[in-house]
Amino acid sequence: MTDAPVLQVEGLVKHFPIHGGLLQRQVGAVRAVDGVTFSIRRGETLGLVGESGCGKSTIGKVVLKLIEPTAGKIVLAGEDVTALKPGAMWTHRRRIQTIFQDPYSSMNPRLPSGTIVGEPLENFGIARGAARDDQVAQLFRRVGLRPEAMRKYAHEFSGGQRQRLGIAKALSVNPDVIVADEPVSALDVSVQAQVLNLLIDLQEEYGLAYLFISHDLAVMRHISHRIAVMYLGRIVELTDKRTLFTQPLHPYTEALLSAATAPDPKRRRQRKKIVQGDVPSPAKPPPGCHFHTRCLYATAECRVTDPPLLEVAPGHHVACLRRPVGGDPGPLSVP
Amino acid sequence: MNGNPGPILEVRDLHTQFSTLDGVVRAVDGVSFDVARGETLGIVGESGCGKSVTAMSILRLIPPETGRISSGSIKFEGEELTTLSEEEMKRLRGHRISMIFQEPMTSLNPVLTVGTQIAENVVRHLGVSWKAGRERAFEMLDLVRIADARRRLDEYPHQLSGGMRQRVMIAMALSCDPQVLIADEPTTALDVTIQAQILDLMIELKEKTGTAIVLITHDLGVVAETTERVVVMYAGRKVEQAPVEALFEEPLHPYTRGLMGAIPRLDVEADAAGTRPRLQEIPGLVPILTQPIIGCAFAPRCGFATDRCRSERPPLVDAGAGHLVACWEVDRVRRAA
Repeated sequence: MTDAPVLQVEGLVKHFPIHGGLLQRQVGAVRAVDGVTFSIRRGETLGLVGESGCGKSTIGKVVLKLIEPTAGKIVLAGEDVTALKPGAMWTHRRRIQTIFQDPYSSMNPRLPSGTIVGEPLENFGIARGAARDDQVAQLFRRVGLRPEAMRKYAHEFSGGQRQRLGIAKALSVNPDVIVADEPVSALDVSVQAQVLNLLIDLQEEYGLAYLFISHDLAVMRHISHRIAVMYLGRIVELTDKRTLFTQPLHPYTEALLSAATAPDPKRRRQRKKIVQGDVPSPAKPPPGCHFHTRCLYATAECRVTDPPLLEVAPGHHVACLRRPVGGDPGPLSVP
Repeated sequence: MNGNPGPILEVRDLHTQFSTLDGVVRAVDGVSFDVARGETLGIVGESGCGKSVTAMSILRLIPPETGRISSGSIKFEGEELTTLSEEEMKRLRGHRISMIFQEPMTSLNPVLTVGTQIAENVVRHLGVSWKAGRERAFEMLDLVRIADARRRLDEYPHQLSGGMRQRVMIAMALSCDPQVLIADEPTTALDVTIQAQILDLMIELKEKTGTAIVLITHDLGVVAETTERVVVMYAGRKVEQAPVEALFEEPLHPYTRGLMGAIPRLDVEADAAGTRPRLQEIPGLVPILTQPIIGCAFAPRCGFATDRCRSERPPLVDAGAGHLVACWEVDRVRRAA
């Protein structure tokens, strides 16, 4: 891991307008991403974890510039790509690629898999004809598929094999960053293990940076170096994974860890702090700290004041009024 | 509860098949198990192992155009279900045996209020008035801890969050005091904090009502935290069955061991930052169920497999204390621990 970040995101905001009324005027906005800052170094995995609607997938799409940010800055390998128009962004797409949850829906059913995987090589003018076929065969071998399978169509592969195809395609242009949005969520555990191992091997081999988006804490802990926990469009805690799992400081992180199930019957009934209620709508987030409606430790101030994301200990960022810089990392008291 | 001490549900040598263009799929291939009164039995396995088809078979919800229970017996309170008429099954479903599924939105009627839907079930099965049915619906919504239950009675499913919809499904399923509740991936579509709420609710209600639960899931964490006994299925067959502590303490089937090694763990000692141990992979793929499986279904992927595993189907044997396993090489597997 070198120190220069390959991807930097500063103050990223993405609001989706809500139209209503007779004239379909904008009557509000879904604040999907509401001021998010992070960076990823070469060879590093940053995990984005959170529940439905927290904005983690929107961040992935904005970073890929599949949708335009409302505000903020995206710096890819030292170049500001925030304002680039699609034509100008195109050349940067070699640097940042993506892997989806369901690769099948992104594959043309009428093309052989070899053609699908080789398409970026042609698009970016990297290789054509026999040279392209050679490179595709190498990619197939690298992700654990037989080169003969290049003639097969997407539907002839199993779910895990299709994910390998998606990985091969993303790798083909030798990117710096891969955005992986729930890449193993649809897979059975035995196949999930194969894909996670492959992703780790490829990262170590090519120095890839991963922005890894998942709702699954165990998967996250396995693959990430650092983890950002999101709630309603904001990062509430960001630190290295060891600290996150051993000394979580944000009450929402604590709630997530407490709610996660573990394959150990002795642990049952030890779950103590299950948060009640549902996540509020991102179209109408509560004032103050977004989590205060479900937080066991919320005070009157939490209901009105936005907590900033502060570095409370080296490398440990937390957005909680009750966790000041240099404060006691021990358990919070219920007010 | 009923004083009869026998199991509430007995499944014996169940075979369920589907006719497809590729041939006959043996989705459930000779599965037997009992469900004791008031217990929580987990059925765990990966996609295509036959766990959901087993549930659908018990409820006789296999679509007759393509599938059928080809042999075997399913007894509920001693009564054979496989030969009941559809009318008799309708009287049983939602009353004495109930079910909840993964996606509540597909099981709820979008044009009826949740109060009407719960009341309908109560009126139909218990023959009470609509007024009493609605009162029961209120009681049930309150029981599953839906806040402001009186008002929610008049809401439609789309007005509720995913977690609340699943609570409504549980309320409906328990509205006629069933003896058995079959829950097929009831929390798979929910966020973790909501999943924790729903699992806690199910355990609490089970203790309150004495309803036996058959919990079908792919998630070993959910199984470990909620069930008392577990059946592990692979390729339509039961490969292992044990009390939950014993299963996680010493899994005996190589497939079960493979599954446990393949999941990333949250509960093991935190590793030093930066090190990422490899997950154990199960090589290969699940067998194609249209082709006859000779010997042990797991043999092609198993590190312990011998010639006998590839030619003779292993019987389920008792390895002690109610721990059943179908593996010829169980002694070697045990020593390899």
